[in-house]
Amino acid sequence: MKFMFRSLVIVLCLLIIPISAVVTAAIKQRFEDGPNRVFAGGPLISGPIYKGVEPDWEFVNTIDTLELQLVDPPLSRRIWVASAQGRLFIWSGYMNSLVGQLWKTWPAQANADGRALLRIDGIRYERNLLRLINDPVFEELSTVVSEKYPSHFTRDSVERGDVWVFEAKPKTPLNHQIVRGS
Amino acid sequence: MKIFYKFVTAATALSILSVLLIPGVDDAVEGLFQLFVLFVSR
Repeated sequence: MKFMFRSLVIVLCLLIIPISAVVTAAIKQRFEDGPNRVFAGGPLISGPIYKGVEPDWEFVNTIDTLELQLVDPPLSRRIWVASAQGRLFIWSGYMNSLVGQLWKTWPAQANADGRALLRIDGIRYERNLLRLINDPVFEELSTVVSEKYPSHFTRDSVERGDVWVFEAKPKTPLNHQIVRGS
Repeated sequence: MKIFYKFVTAATALSILSVLLIPGVDDAVEGLFQLFVLFVSR
């Protein structure tokens, strides 16, 4: 019994070494300009802000990921992206699972406040994230996503709430919203 | 056992300091963590 207890203590103590390294790396990333592969990063600081006409978003179907930062909270993460019908979409899976509810916090934050900054190839785009639950574009989008990623993205999974889809719409200036009364 | 605890304390401090101070170590740690997550989730 004593041998078992001592073995357990030794294993737990040895686990502290890599865990402390991982936790330190994750905390350190929070102070960096953007995310790394897994760990969330700090605000997206570098890169010019895109000013101009709405881009043709088809080019995002050739890149793996983009960097997403919400205005509130100002943290960034790396996520998958796809475009269909010239519109830009990001999404989050596992939303009905326990793991998803514990791990995925940004979708609820984006649903509450959709103001976001996207960085693609070093250029920052100011956008408003709008959650979509039912949209005819999902048929085409699911085809694009399944060709691009090992993702279970279907219209049914979106309607069940397993997948939360956001369209990254152009940022609308606040004074424009006031004039329109929205 | 006392020596072992000293070893663990020193190794933990060394791992934290190396992640903080040596360029590239944080990236390597994240890569290993990513591999671990991929292995566990399979």
